[in-house]
Amino acid sequence: MRRRLIGLLAKEMIQFLRDRLMLVLILWLYTVEVVICALALSFEVEDMPIAIVDLDRSAASRALVERFIVGESFALVGRPDSVAQAASWLQAGRARIALVIPDGLQHDLARGEPATVQLLLDGTNSNIAAQARSNALGIVAGFNASQNGAGVTAAGRAVPVTRVWYNSNQSYTPFVVLSMIGLAALMVGMIHPAASIVREKEHGTIEQLRVTPISTWELLVAKTMPTVLIGLVSVFPSLLIVWWFGVPLRGSLFVFLLLTGLFLVSAVALGVLVSAFSATLQQALLVSFFILFPMMFLSGTLAPVESMPDVLQALSLASPLRHYMDILLGMFLKGTSIDVLWPQAGALIVIGVGLFCIAAIVFRRTGV
Amino acid sequence: MKWHRLAAVMVKESRDVLRDPITVAVALLMPLIMLFLFGYAISLDVDDVAFGALDLDQTPRSRALVDRFARSGYFSLVGEYRSDREVEGALQDNSAKLILVIPPGFTRTMARGEAAPVQVLVDGTYSATANLILGYAKAIVAGFAPPVAPGGVSLEPRVWYNPSLSSVTFVVPGLFGVILMAFPPLLTALAISREKETGSIQQIFASPLTAAEFLAGKLIPYGIIAFAQIVMVMAVGFAWFGVPLRGSLALLVAVGLVYVFCTVGIGLLVSMVTRSQLVAMLLALIVTMMPSFLFSGFLFPIFTMPYFLQLYTRVFPARYFVDLSRGIVLKGAALPDLWPTILLLLAYTVAIFALAVWRFRKKVA
Repeated sequence: MRRRLIGLLAKEMIQFLRDRLMLVLILWLYTVEVVICALALSFEVEDMPIAIVDLDRSAASRALVERFIVGESFALVGRPDSVAQAASWLQAGRARIALVIPDGLQHDLARGEPATVQLLLDGTNSNIAAQARSNALGIVAGFNASQNGAGVTAAGRAVPVTRVWYNSNQSYTPFVVLSMIGLAALMVGMIHPAASIVREKEHGTIEQLRVTPISTWELLVAKTMPTVLIGLVSVFPSLLIVWWFGVPLRGSLFVFLLLTGLFLVSAVALGVLVSAFSATLQQALLVSFFILFPMMFLSGTLAPVESMPDVLQALSLASPLRHYMDILLGMFLKGTSIDVLWPQAGALIVIGVGLFCIAAIVFRRTGV
Repeated sequence: MKWHRLAAVMVKESRDVLRDPITVAVALLMPLIMLFLFGYAISLDVDDVAFGALDLDQTPRSRALVDRFARSGYFSLVGEYRSDREVEGALQDNSAKLILVIPPGFTRTMARGEAAPVQVLVDGTYSATANLILGYAKAIVAGFAPPVAPGGVSLEPRVWYNPSLSSVTFVVPGLFGVILMAFPPLLTALAISREKETGSIQQIFASPLTAAEFLAGKLIPYGIIAFAQIVMVMAVGFAWFGVPLRGSLALLVAVGLVYVFCTVGIGLLVSMVTRSQLVAMLLALIVTMMPSFLFSGFLFPIFTMPYFLQLYTRVFPARYFVDLSRGIVLKGAALPDLWPTILLLLAYTVAIFALAVWRFRKKVA
């Protein structure tokens, strides 16, 4: 039995490694795509293009404008002469936000009267707009404090001292890098075994395998092992990238690899299940896509699971990626150890074994 | 180009598609599923964030601050803790996203007219929402005792195009671009690489079909499916999700048509450079779906990216279409504002087709 399995495994491994373009694409997903995403994607509002209409042209208005320009939040794209012109810039997308300082700001301030400045925001991206609004409020508050002298405004006030845990520089990078690793593992882990099994079906070579003494289990193991192995090996370049972005692995490497292996097994099991139900390669690929897509975005890779409706939160418990994301975020950002993560590990085992059993039963029924 | 030959290829291809119920189901259901997923499930809005309090002051004043958080609409109180250890545990097991720590002597310090620090701890794992949570928390604490200083500048923010800052309104028009980039190219790429993998493409080469006839015959059925997807997605977006349409529907549909040609052309190009369906699908994922999702400005703003990556986003047509779609739908923009982007999209489409036909010709010759 062992000889048969080894022979079959060797054949699958050779087949996998023969397709150069595919290896390049897999490597691309685990490295270049991760780096690009880490560098590019961010929800932080930095350098938001701002247009400033200063109708006051006084020392006070210049000081306020200065505060807007100096910080990281906004980048000045120009100073339109009128509100109408600023509006047309917003319309054309040249600016995303416009600050309008009315005539008489300095005058009002000097007399101790309340003065109002207007902020026009392009709300097409609601998240960005909400952040820009709170940044602007902060800048104006700072301006007021400096105008009044610090002693007066701070009197008898509660002052927030904020601290962000686990990700102290508030960067989206570690999160993106980690979720890209999870996504790459899921995509490759699911699609490859599905395709390699269905290809045998489509070409009819599965009939030949059926007349050999190879059992269903041996076939499934041989078909999926190479994917799991390649998946585990491809994690290493990603680990280097993660480290390069300053997100060190805080737990043990062995535990991490073990849990990654478990995740890959459940991803592979999904692929096997898909292949059990599909007759052609096109069907298998489209169905994988059909399953992958919602799973990718319902597992906390993009938005937190907690912000989803309850039904979907419950549903996401069935997704191996959700548990793996908990593991990744825990092990890299929070330094959580296995004694906190065991429910996730257990869930991965249950999902993986369950799917494999269902797939094996379907395979037996339909005659491999 | 002979019409009857073109028609024959089209009929054959349409039969191929319709015979496979799974393909039809995926083509028609998937866009709707995505729309509902993003409409309901994936929300970057912040409300009801679980927060806990460590109130070391235990005075009416400190309780009032905790209460203010709980009643703000952004936060809901999940626990009151006694020690730092409990606070740490709550953040570790995700039961709270924000912890408010009120130090002893809070009320006394405030009564003395001094600044009383309050600690706000935020779980930064999801920095997308952490930024927002932090902003709201700061505003609540800062507004707790309004400054008595006279005068001062107040800011009057006005949000245009999407005054309620709802994320559905912003997500749906962008999603048009993502959906049309995810499916039509994938279906096209699979259709042609299937013929390559099974070897039936050799028979095509041997037949009197010209390259243009073959490609047009292959693409038109998928173009029609893609167009049906646009109509469906727009109908659901406007009717069900109540996204306002401020610009012209005709312009949106016309631009959508150009975009569909472009995406189908990309699928064609993908199938030209790959030999098997599996590789075609992986490549399609990398050049169409992921960029349309990540680098089109659909969720992640382009202006925050480093400059060379902003150039990278220009390589993918999804970026142009997302701009156009948001412009037309939300801003009511018309041709005078949009023509440069439309021109770019057109040029892109023509270039893609020229490249694909050229590669195909070379193969046939």
